[in-house]
Amino acid sequence: MNINITTKIWIYTILIIVVGLVALYSASYNNVRVEQKVFYDQLYFSMFGLGLLFLVSKIDYRKFYDIAYALYFLNLFLLLIVLFSSRHILGARRWLELGIINFQPSELAKLSLILVLARYLCNVRPVVKFDILSRAQKIFREILFPLLFTALYMIFIFKQPDLGTALLIFGIFFVMLYISNLEIKYVFSLLIIFASFLPFVWHILKPYQKDRLLVFLNPNIDPLGAGYTIIQSKIAVGSGQLLGKGWLSGTQNQLNFLPERHTDFIFSVIGEEWGLVGTLIVLYCFFCLIYNLISVVQKTKDRFGVLAGVGIIAILSLQVVINIGMVIGMFPIVGITLPFISYGRSSFLVFIIAIGFILSLSKRRSFF
Amino acid sequence: MRIKIIKIFITILFLIIAFNLAYVQGMRGKYYHKLSVFNRIRVVPLEAPRGNISDRNNVLLTDNRVVYNVMVVPQEIKNKEKLFSFLSEALQIDKKKLVQTYNNKKSSQFTPIVLAEDVNRGLLIKVEEEKYRFPGLLIQESFKRQYLLGANSAHVLGYVAKVNKSKLEKLKEYGYSPASNVGYSGVEEYYDKYLRGEEGGVQIEINSRGQQVRLLGLKEPVKGKNIQLTIDSSLQQVISESLSEITGSVIIMDTDTGEILGLENYPSFDPNIFIESQYKEEMVRVLNDLRSPLLNRAIKGVYPPGSVFKVPVAVAALESKKITENTTYLCEGFLEIGGTRFGCTHVHGNQDLFQAIANSCNIYFYRLGLNVGADIISHYAKIMTLGQLTNIDLPYEAQGFIPNRQQKLFNKKKWYSGDTLNMSIGQGDVLVTPLQLVRMMAIIANQGFVVQPHLIKSISQKDADYNKSKRRVAVSQKTFDLIKKGLRRTVQDLSGTAHVLDLPDLYVAGKTGTAQAGEAKESHSWFVGYVDSKKKNITIGVFLEHGGSSQNACLVARQILMRMQEMQIL
Repeated sequence: MNINITTKIWIYTILIIVVGLVALYSASYNNVRVEQKVFYDQLYFSMFGLGLLFLVSKIDYRKFYDIAYALYFLNLFLLLIVLFSSRHILGARRWLELGIINFQPSELAKLSLILVLARYLCNVRPVVKFDILSRAQKIFREILFPLLFTALYMIFIFKQPDLGTALLIFGIFFVMLYISNLEIKYVFSLLIIFASFLPFVWHILKPYQKDRLLVFLNPNIDPLGAGYTIIQSKIAVGSGQLLGKGWLSGTQNQLNFLPERHTDFIFSVIGEEWGLVGTLIVLYCFFCLIYNLISVVQKTKDRFGVLAGVGIIAILSLQVVINIGMVIGMFPIVGITLPFISYGRSSFLVFIIAIGFILSLSKRRSFF
Repeated sequence: MRIKIIKIFITILFLIIAFNLAYVQGMRGKYYHKLSVFNRIRVVPLEAPRGNISDRNNVLLTDNRVVYNVMVVPQEIKNKEKLFSFLSEALQIDKKKLVQTYNNKKSSQFTPIVLAEDVNRGLLIKVEEEKYRFPGLLIQESFKRQYLLGANSAHVLGYVAKVNKSKLEKLKEYGYSPASNVGYSGVEEYYDKYLRGEEGGVQIEINSRGQQVRLLGLKEPVKGKNIQLTIDSSLQQVISESLSEITGSVIIMDTDTGEILGLENYPSFDPNIFIESQYKEEMVRVLNDLRSPLLNRAIKGVYPPGSVFKVPVAVAALESKKITENTTYLCEGFLEIGGTRFGCTHVHGNQDLFQAIANSCNIYFYRLGLNVGADIISHYAKIMTLGQLTNIDLPYEAQGFIPNRQQKLFNKKKWYSGDTLNMSIGQGDVLVTPLQLVRMMAIIANQGFVVQPHLIKSISQKDADYNKSKRRVAVSQKTFDLIKKGLRRTVQDLSGTAHVLDLPDLYVAGKTGTAQAGEAKESHSWFVGYVDSKKKNITIGVFLEHGGSSQNACLVARQILMRMQEMQIL
């Protein structure tokens, strides 16, 4: 049974990667704006990634426990460097340039935060007394301190500016707090407090971020700018209908209607060329992968493993849901990738390690 | 337990996504399919008119003329042969030429291609009448820049043209496309981001005959911001008239605020030649003119300042306490250094500082220069902001050059006494722009306060708040008092080199310069001074390229000042 789940995780991961490669091939096929190089780049990197996945799955996941704090502060440092040194790419500073390898610390930040929160939360001793002082202590220990970890990352990522990832990171924090068995009343008060802050957030948004949100509410506001992407992406996905137009024959895709179709909008290529059947299959693959990951975590007894595992599952599910939702116009356009399918090494690498972590979890759980 | 809840939650989220996919691809699929397969979406950019430019008295200097362009959308064309035959006949353009334009400009199926710009109304009616027969044929409104006063203020204004490749690379991030117009030189370039409007566009769904079925989206173009300049177009006219056929430039600046009231050069050009196709020959002529009419000499030309440079030399001497106002040097008409004879215009005899400035005695300044030394002179020239950008709001300002010993030594060349002598009278390697000298003179008139020369008065009615920064140069008040006395005597004294400028009811002070410029060529002629009057305090700089004696510059200045009195500006 144990081996069975691991094998299933392997199979679904590979399936999703292959789907991504096939879609990317089409997105870069005979295309002026997206070079064919992108495909081969991702192909080689996928092979490397699978090797890495194998290695990570062999590592004792407790090693991640040991390096959690070091990784957190290293990542914080990288985020700072990015903010102060790097070039703007597409209007934002997200990349760290290390010679040939360009790297996005905000992608790694998701994993670093999950690990650090898992380590911190698994060590918090429950407070037994119920006077005011101990309640304050509890709030400080179990909510404010983890919030501080999260907020530091959020601020720097928000400054890049990358609103999507910043909010996603808050999502991780929230889910992990929930799973740490904090009383429900605290969890919900926190959510309410956060929601009441949103109007203030509006004021510090960059004009293009406001545009994107407004356009999401009404795509016709700016049909040539941000609204254009939403409209075109919807047309692409919708026009695939039931069976799709066939591989390499998506007109929207091939006629260069869609910007960023190899990264954040890769799903529109799938939607257009493979139709509803294709999109549902892809969605199903993700669901099965996530389902199996949950099974592993459910059988884990170790608190650190559970916390980190749920964090990883949360980020994976949220990214899939948000990315697809964005492509079909359910959510505003935010820079969130589709795991394993969108072109981009940083995101790919982070998810490989994340899956590797859970694979490693599945192997060791019997020791407890 | 809580993991289970999360599991259920994730399942619900995935189901919602699945239902939405089913809705978009299944239920609405046909609609989107139609939109995509027949490419029934037409995106037509709507051009935004550029902001207008007016002078300080609200006289309009530019305007936008509405013109009509004939365009075609490649994906909608049914019968290309027929369409082009019709257009060739209707527009009276050779068919081959039309096809060629079409092929050159075609970039994608859905982007409209402009086949003929600024089509005249008569021909346009013909196209309009038959338009329905040819799907994909469009007529669209566009704007053309007009410069209402022709060559007046051309160098200040600059002109507008299609963005070129190298510029586009830089401006791409700011939303410029290959079809965008962009300012070239002058205010049109410097304030382009304000002047240019925000391009709009429509995205419409059309049927197979090219008729609009529904509006998918509309973004109204936004007109650029109007800007008002500090220049006075009637004064500009006066300056152009006094400069007629004399190569050179004149700058008139408000001494107190740094507002540029007038800035003209000769030769100049009419910016309209870059806009209207009928002036193509004129444009070619201007571009090939050896006198370079496109050059804004006032800020881009660097020239030796000649005797005008004696002013910073005197500042250096007084500040370094090498002389007092009573120190005299004897002028015998020449000075021999190392076997070379350096001459003066006259035999001036014993000269004190005021006389030396008024008479522009070279010998006095040679001796002074040797006394003070090259290092201190170049130091004070820089303090007086020479050889530095004035940061006026015009692009491509030249910096000029103030020689100094270290740099020459650095280039492995020796610094001779002769170099110091040349520098003392503003010759040799000293190079400045006319505007730099004007600003230097304004600093003196202002007793050390540095004003920022600028051309912008307001942007969409909002005053451009040019920081009246109270930066002062590190020179004592006494020095300014003495220098000003000398500059006043240049005009007041009967023997003063600018005595022609001793006008009734005006306090004029300044310094002349005759700068040698090459062996066989006439000298450059300079007058830079300041004028105090009840209405306005101004600083004026007149520079005549190879204009001969400085008297010529004084005469031009005199003519302009007298006209300014008539015009009630002074």
